[in-house]
Amino acid sequence: MPTLDIEKIKKEVIDSQLWRSVFRGGVWKDTPRDRAAHIIGNVWLHLHPVKVRPRALRWTYTWGMGGISFALYLLLTLTGVALMFYYRPTIGLAYRDIKDLEFAITLGMFLRNAHRWAAQSMVVAVIAHMVSVFLRGAYKKPREFNWGVGVLLLTLTLFLSFTGYLLPWDQLAIWAVTVGTNMAGATPFLGNEGPFGGLIGMRINNDVRFTLLGGTMVGENTLLRFYVMHCVAVPLVVGILLILHFWRIRKDSFSAAPLQANEEKVDVWPHLVKREYIGAIGTVLFIFLWSVLQNAPLEVIANPNVTTNPSKAPWYFVGLQELLVYFDPWIAGVLLPGLIIVGLMALPYIDTNPKGIGLYDWKERKFANTMFMLGIVMWFVLIFIGQFLRGPNYAWYWPWESWFSIKAAPPATWSVFGPHGVGAFPLLLGIPVVGALFGASMLAPKLIQKELDGTKTMLAFLGAVAVVWVGGMLAHKMGPVQGLFLLFFTGMSFYFGFILPQRHIRALDWARYLVTMALVVCTMGILLKMCARLAFNIKYVITIPAISMNI
Amino acid sequence: MSYRKLFYASNFLLLGFFAWAFLKDYNAEWKTYQSKYYEMTAQDLEKQAAAAKDPKKAEDLRAEAKKVRRSPLEIKQIISNDLGRYDRCITCHVGMDEYTNPTMKTPFDKNPYKGHPGVDSSLVKAHPFTKYGCTVCHQGQGLATSTEKAHGWIKNWERPMLMGVHIQGSCVKCHGNFEKLKGAEVAAEGWHQIQKHGCQGCHVINGWGGVISVSLDDIADKPLERIQGYSFRRVKIDGQQLTEDHEEKWKLQNWILGHLVNDPAYITPNDPFAHFNTEPVPPSGMPDYTKEITVADANAITAYLSGLTKEEVIPYRYHVSAPPAKEPTFADAKAHGHYVFQKAGCAGCHGIDAVEGRRRFNALGKGQAAYDPKMSEEEKFKNMELGREPHLRELMGTYTKPELVAKLQAGVAASAAKKWSPDGPTPVVYMPAWKERLTQKELEDLADWLLSTAKKDDTGF
Repeated sequence: MPTLDIEKIKKEVIDSQLWRSVFRGGVWKDTPRDRAAHIIGNVWLHLHPVKVRPRALRWTYTWGMGGISFALYLLLTLTGVALMFYYRPTIGLAYRDIKDLEFAITLGMFLRNAHRWAAQSMVVAVIAHMVSVFLRGAYKKPREFNWGVGVLLLTLTLFLSFTGYLLPWDQLAIWAVTVGTNMAGATPFLGNEGPFGGLIGMRINNDVRFTLLGGTMVGENTLLRFYVMHCVAVPLVVGILLILHFWRIRKDSFSAAPLQANEEKVDVWPHLVKREYIGAIGTVLFIFLWSVLQNAPLEVIANPNVTTNPSKAPWYFVGLQELLVYFDPWIAGVLLPGLIIVGLMALPYIDTNPKGIGLYDWKERKFANTMFMLGIVMWFVLIFIGQFLRGPNYAWYWPWESWFSIKAAPPATWSVFGPHGVGAFPLLLGIPVVGALFGASMLAPKLIQKELDGTKTMLAFLGAVAVVWVGGMLAHKMGPVQGLFLLFFTGMSFYFGFILPQRHIRALDWARYLVTMALVVCTMGILLKMCARLAFNIKYVITIPAISMNI
Repeated sequence: MSYRKLFYASNFLLLGFFAWAFLKDYNAEWKTYQSKYYEMTAQDLEKQAAAAKDPKKAEDLRAEAKKVRRSPLEIKQIISNDLGRYDRCITCHVGMDEYTNPTMKTPFDKNPYKGHPGVDSSLVKAHPFTKYGCTVCHQGQGLATSTEKAHGWIKNWERPMLMGVHIQGSCVKCHGNFEKLKGAEVAAEGWHQIQKHGCQGCHVINGWGGVISVSLDDIADKPLERIQGYSFRRVKIDGQQLTEDHEEKWKLQNWILGHLVNDPAYITPNDPFAHFNTEPVPPSGMPDYTKEITVADANAITAYLSGLTKEEVIPYRYHVSAPPAKEPTFADAKAHGHYVFQKAGCAGCHGIDAVEGRRRFNALGKGQAAYDPKMSEEEKFKNMELGREPHLRELMGTYTKPELVAKLQAGVAASAAKKWSPDGPTPVVYMPAWKERLTQKELEDLADWLLSTAKKDDTGF
């Protein structure tokens, strides 16, 4: 009876001309040389180093978020290409094609779900990746440039998701995109509704919004533009930047974790590759499960004559939309996002703290981490408010309140320095007063050279606010809720905008100090304006209608 | 768990999830109906074969049954290029597919297996399904292939299937001659009811009417987004309020019907005491017709209005126009005047044959207490509700004919209304000027008829 000699068959297969021509290298013996050859000899793997430090492999260190983001990008490319076979970007056909995906195409709905949910997940994963990189101080020298590339990739991820939002051509799509692109119309100089826009000849049919839309409203051209951007232009740029991002990771070394004495590196094959594989397949499993269980939304076919109420931007931009309650579009939609992007890219050049590089060390990076996490928390709190607490007419509805109940129109608002405000002369009075306040908050932490006792100063400040509160209540100008708002928001701003900088960054050199404080004071400005609007119905602090400049 | 085990487990799981997704897709709802239809048809054929006396015929029937059993399951659709319809209804309603079932008759009496009723009627013969599709008459989501979605009983489908008599609205879309059309009797009745109760006094309907309220000429296009709010929730159909969950009842037909079987002022109470707005907003100005219009008539009106669309483009060669309407001639000026009263829709506000003045919120009316700012809101509301349009029969005695004609010509501006509560809302309904819309002869005859209806007191004046 002939026996089946598996080892012999294996050897014959591997030694065959066919196998040898496809796979380089000899029989796998699992020696360090084999493992190295595996990485070097494979076009897909050779962006990895051969060996890597064990510290960089831990899930608790990387959170796996960079790899998961890339896995999602690949999944999105695959599902996206598949969807392109069925989708035609014209307003007569787009919506019908989406319906066909749901009702007539084998696995069409599954494909669309997977694409949708992967896109939403990628936004979350990329933000989580940024948070983890920030918290372990991995953006510092020599990785400043790659952090900047990463920030660009984050922005492009949001833009990719945003352009994809329009393609189903339903009510959700056109109104979300209308909200988003209207913000672009408020860009200073470049938008027809932004400050100085009119002065340099911006009209509704030649400004930046027009360029995005290919028209003055969302229509056929917009759909085509967004389709090309979504499927070709932006993925191309993202692809190029991804290559750059990965290349720099390889060149700047895989991990910023500080070197330890007699630390021995381990082979990338299999130690890193297996983790990458598990991370990727776990992600795909998650997306598949989600796609089987929940269908992507599709509303009524787009109708430019019927505005949905409320109209909301895609969830990751709802935070900015919520800011529209507190600021004019050019601030909420252009200035603040611009500051966020530029500020993030500038971070490695501002934060020169030599400690806490490559490890989670809150103690050494108290100021940086606190301010960064404050920003992240504010971003998501604003999204939460906009997404879950805003109902018809963008009025405040608690989750337990029915949207079918009627809400009173919002109370009339007023401006502090404006035609009907306290000071009727915004130019003469408002600009000096607000300018002085801004300047004082910028300079005070550095000018007070001695470190103040944080607890005592904070209590003294809160005491002063409480006195104002009591005074306001006695004068019947303020209610208890307003007082609480005042205490909370001014307290927050005082702590993060004065006490923390005073304790941590007063020793910085002037240039870095001023840039940092400008970002900090802007963040506190958002908190204070939220308080002013929510509790005191203040619309603007300063209003200068002549150049449509309202703050 | 080691990475090796994790590797195998996750790969198998991935395969499993994909299989799950595929099976979910493979076991689509429509397949159950289609295969059951084939099975039932095959059984029926076998039964016939067993009963057949001629062995050759029995053999044929058995072969036929075998063939039917083997029919592949597929999505079937009717593409109507002219009407822009892609209807997959026959995927489940296989018995109504002319290719699968040429006779279009089935021995089954339950949906989705039964055939289309009345396939031999001239109505169906004039509208071959392969050319017209399904949704041009029935509405619903033709592209969909599952029960709830296909019939449009879901959120995000604006035109769910027209149920019961409401389907006759679809006749009106093409048939200008619907009044004399067999099969469109309910829609015609709806049109007559509209004329009788004077809806055209305030609404433009079929190209003619007042501008006091919205035009109903494109009422079938009204987006649900505009109405599905606070007021829609107050609509009661069959005495039951609509739920917050979007379901079968959330459709335009219930919004129209709701205005006829409920008091519109209850559905749209608005804000007469300015709780939510800076100015008081009166409730809907539409009179309460619940006592005058039966539920059946309300459904007839709804059916007719369901066909008034401007959005839906139907090629001109599909339209059947009515012969131009002839103005009836009257020998008697008063009879002509009565006809003008009906035609112009005066009944909408002044009651059929001018027997009453209908509600006019916050105008003056009988039985109102004197206005007192200290009254409670309920009391104020009660008194405001008693405001009435002029009761013409009681009023006519105070007019001469030239005065009356002048008044009809000029109308009375909304701002000239005398309000019961000076702080309350201005009444929304007003007397339009008829100068442009009625001829001098019509106005004079109308005045003649009106004066003849004047209530006379004991002295004969």
